[in-house]
Amino acid sequence: MGLIKWERTGPLDTLAHIQGEMSDLLNVLSSAPRGEGYAAMEFPPIIVSLNESSVFVRAELPGIRISDLDIQVMDDVLTIKGERKPVAFGVKTTYLRRERSYGTFARSIMLPEKADVEEVTASYKNGVLLVTLPRAAEAKPKQVVIQKA
Amino acid sequence: MEIREHPTVEKKKIAPDKCVLTGKGDWYFPQSDIYETPDNFTILIDMPGVDTEHITIDLRDNELVINGEVSQEAYRDEKVLYNEYAIGHYHRHFVISDAINRDKIEAKMLDGVLSLVLPKAEHIKPRKIEVKAE
Repeated sequence: MGLIKWERTGPLDTLAHIQGEMSDLLNVLSSAPRGEGYAAMEFPPIIVSLNESSVFVRAELPGIRISDLDIQVMDDVLTIKGERKPVAFGVKTTYLRRERSYGTFARSIMLPEKADVEEVTASYKNGVLLVTLPRAAEAKPKQVVIQKA
Repeated sequence: MEIREHPTVEKKKIAPDKCVLTGKGDWYFPQSDIYETPDNFTILIDMPGVDTEHITIDLRDNELVINGEVSQEAYRDEKVLYNEYAIGHYHRHFVISDAINRDKIEAKMLDGVLSLVLPKAEHIKPRKIEVKAE
């Protein structure tokens, strides 16, 4: 396993830390759509990959119940919809820090090629959604046998 | 409670200028929430892609150190076409005070979210003092 060793901070480092925090804040405030263009704001972030038989779409969706997810495929468009619900503790709760956010989301992705809609499967493990889309028969390369004349 | 139309999952890369990194792969600060209920503090940390057995939680002195390692095995035979998030290990540390009963810290991993329940120590809980009639 990897190790992380933190440098012990001296009194001057606290100032540097404040400076760092301020510049982070300025970055957030001055760039309305963060990241490179609009795509970076889309939720959930995805990774699309491919092997000989299927297209894989992975999405980081931690803390969502499967019943709150809705996945649809039409031709070559995959739609992921859902809602991330806030955690209910059932008792009086206050929060001291909140970085995670909640809400509804919907996202459609154009697939690199047509998928076999009947055979699409999805699994959700450790907060990562994996949609496996078998490539449609016409998208797979077909070996052409050369006939002897 | 604020509900945003587009939730975001953002993780900040740990820059190697503040610390010394060893081992393979990048490390990220995952996002986390801290809640307080009358009996506990609850820390929720988004760690998508981490198996329960790859999480280590250490309590050293006043520091609670959480590491989660992600396997990238699955991508070996695949060609990545489009990539919006980085895969990496997670690290986060919190400084805790005497207000926490350290023997009873519990951790649970569900759907990529680690939840740590830190029970409050008896001496900081509000107590009702009964008035005795003489």
